[in-house]
Amino acid sequence: MFAAVTSVALVGVEPRPVRVEVHVAGSTPQFGLVGLPDTAVREARERVRSAVNAAGFPFPNRRITVNLAPAEIPKGGSAYDLPIALGVLSAAGLIRPAATEVVALGELALDGAVRSARGGLAAGIVAAAAGLPCLLPPGSASEASLVGGIDLRPVRSLPHAVAVALGEAEPAAAAGAPPADPEPIGDLSAVRGQRAARRALEIAAAGGHHLLLSGPPGSGKTMLARCLPGLLPPLDRAASLEVAAAWAAAGRRRGDPARPPFRSPHHTATPAAVVGGGSGVPVPGELTLAHRGVLFLDEFGEFPPRLLDALRQPLEEGVAHVARKGISVRFPCAAQVVAATNPCPCGYRGDRRTACRCTPRALDRYRARLSGPLLDRLDIRVAVPRLTADELAGPPGEPAGPVWRRVAAAREVQAARGVLNRDLDRGRLDAMGWGPGAERRLREAVERVALTARGWDRVRRVARTIADLAGSEAVGEAHVAEALALRGEW
Amino acid sequence: MSRNDRLRLAFAGLHPDRRRALLEEWGSAAAVLVAIERGRVGVSRAVREAIVPAAECRRRLAAVGAAAFFSEGPGYPGHLAALPDAPDVLFGRGMLPDGPGVAIVGTRRSTRYGRSVAHAYGRAAAAAGWPVISGLARGIDGEAHRGCVEAGGVGVAVLGSGPDVVYPAEHRGLLDGLLSGGGAVVSEYPPGARPEPWRFPPRNRVIAGLSGVVVVVESAVTGGSLITARAALDQGCTVMAVPGDVDRETSVGCNLLIRDGAVPVLGPDDFTEAVSLVLGPPASLHRGRTAESEDERRAAAVPLSGVTLDEAAALWSTDPAGAAAAAGRMELAGLLRFEGGLLVPAGGSGR
Repeated sequence: MFAAVTSVALVGVEPRPVRVEVHVAGSTPQFGLVGLPDTAVREARERVRSAVNAAGFPFPNRRITVNLAPAEIPKGGSAYDLPIALGVLSAAGLIRPAATEVVALGELALDGAVRSARGGLAAGIVAAAAGLPCLLPPGSASEASLVGGIDLRPVRSLPHAVAVALGEAEPAAAAGAPPADPEPIGDLSAVRGQRAARRALEIAAAGGHHLLLSGPPGSGKTMLARCLPGLLPPLDRAASLEVAAAWAAAGRRRGDPARPPFRSPHHTATPAAVVGGGSGVPVPGELTLAHRGVLFLDEFGEFPPRLLDALRQPLEEGVAHVARKGISVRFPCAAQVVAATNPCPCGYRGDRRTACRCTPRALDRYRARLSGPLLDRLDIRVAVPRLTADELAGPPGEPAGPVWRRVAAAREVQAARGVLNRDLDRGRLDAMGWGPGAERRLREAVERVALTARGWDRVRRVARTIADLAGSEAVGEAHVAEALALRGEW
Repeated sequence: MSRNDRLRLAFAGLHPDRRRALLEEWGSAAAVLVAIERGRVGVSRAVREAIVPAAECRRRLAAVGAAAFFSEGPGYPGHLAALPDAPDVLFGRGMLPDGPGVAIVGTRRSTRYGRSVAHAYGRAAAAAGWPVISGLARGIDGEAHRGCVEAGGVGVAVLGSGPDVVYPAEHRGLLDGLLSGGGAVVSEYPPGARPEPWRFPPRNRVIAGLSGVVVVVESAVTGGSLITARAALDQGCTVMAVPGDVDRETSVGCNLLIRDGAVPVLGPDDFTEAVSLVLGPPASLHRGRTAESEDERRAAAVPLSGVTLDEAAALWSTDPAGAAAAAGRMELAGLLRFEGGLLVPAGGSGR
């Protein structure tokens, strides 16, 4: 009198198989649910009872124990209704045990209909790993279809699910995909002027470097940042699944799964909203939604220092750890940061047409706010000046296509080396081939412009990328000189 | 005995005008001190408490490495002592130059244009062998000093605080540069005096007094540099001003000065020429022009107001990557520097 159905739970953004074990015995009517279920899961008892009756089966008036294993993973939501119902029916001997050899997910309506639930993608991933057919509500099926090579069987109702699981009925058609969450997409060919900033963007794309854009309001910093995802290599199948899983864990859907994501949290967002967390089951933050894509921090100086500090370690490790009672969740967050800032509080420092009205004191305060451990990680810092009338009326710039090809070539060189230039540490940099010209410039930089140790590494990383873009094996003098001009110690 | 009393009176920290008025009224420092002691002259408690024995004054001066210069004594420039309102005692570190120098002054709330001009003039004056006098303030003053130090010249900072109080604090390194370059820092305020606003206007007459030429680089209509210019005119020294946009707040003061007869200075070369008409030819004639490198030609094409990297690329007829590489190289060579994302000339060429 025992049955088990596989379902799925999320740990962070990672799908984990959950065994829904059902035991039916004795004759005292009771329906117990154990295994760290939250309130919505506990309410499954009432929905399952009603749906089983509505489906025309007699609900077993016996002692029913449902265990969601492993017990230490917190489980939430209404998606366990369908596997619990299948387990109860099988354990009570009302259907053949073969009906439980599936991965099932879905909420049950009181009339037995199967409703959409979160976790379609996760169920697909678990089904692929287990090699089992996947029973899903039609509305979740399109999400799961991102995972290739699984036996996907959308089901409409509990009786339909039983029949489909036993292979006695045809699965339903997958419902159309729900609308994707909009992502702003920049068009590089629409960016006029800003040739230096475009070049910096290209270098940042090629080496994955974090980038700081500094310029007066309205100079096009946001527009440039939005162009970055289009310059990055598209996500391969595994990467796009990772990103889609992260988005699904936050209840969001991506439009084009292969496109690197672009997220721009507002500076008033809470640390939990940016890094991940929240009460109850931890939810991924903006940082994780930007996994393998771009995290745009507009008005960088306005972000609370505490939040920027909290971003530093996850960005360095590519993983954010969120600890909850009894469980530590890992959110992937290998994102590339683009920060944008006004050069000063009034925004016009370095602008020749509008005088800066900031007092020296205010400037100092502003700079003190900007600096910090995260700023240290921004390899490239470039000014985005206001456009002149000539530039505004001038021809649009180079489209993304050729830039994209150059970036892709540089990325290939890095892939062969085995590490993205952004992640080159001091040891690797030291071990690299630096031409005599490059060595001399670097030495001069330390002596004459008081380059710090961190600044030195930054310049070397960027110089390496510039050389990669130029298709050059050795880093030359000109590469280092250009990297120096992009270090932005002003 | 009299010097001790003058020292004690200087340590009292009175406003320079008040001190001078009291000296005239009572005839000598000793008499003023007695008058204060007996309550014949009303002063604040702080002043009364600041009057200490001369030995204590000397101990405090020694503690901060400063010396006292008396107006008729050694180390006190004659051209300053000749002024009717010259400070009776100056406190300072380093050596004051014998001859008059060039004061380069201007607003703290400067524009990049003003700062690069101040820097260029500081270099040019230093290269010509003229002492550069300024007030160590942020903005124009600081840049003038910096240019002077970079060109290896003699500079004097006249402070509105005690000789040991560096304001703003971030100019401490600059001050050390001035001192190690053979310059001086002076003040008529005793050690420990805070940089209170009332101390600065009297300070400006000392700047003018140490100089034969006062160049105002940037100033609003109400700027302290106009006080310096007025003091300079009263003292009979030449006032020059750097013209600027007519509608820019930080240039209005300069433009007014020019309208009222100040000599407009138009660039480092023009500056050197104009100053040499007043102070005599520069002691060190410019170094022979060597053949210019490609980068030097490029640097010379950059206007004082600075260029963006995009504009530099157009100016040098190269692509953004080439412009950035050239800029990085030129920064290392000391030809250009980045300021607020703009490329500006690192200073006058010294010619």
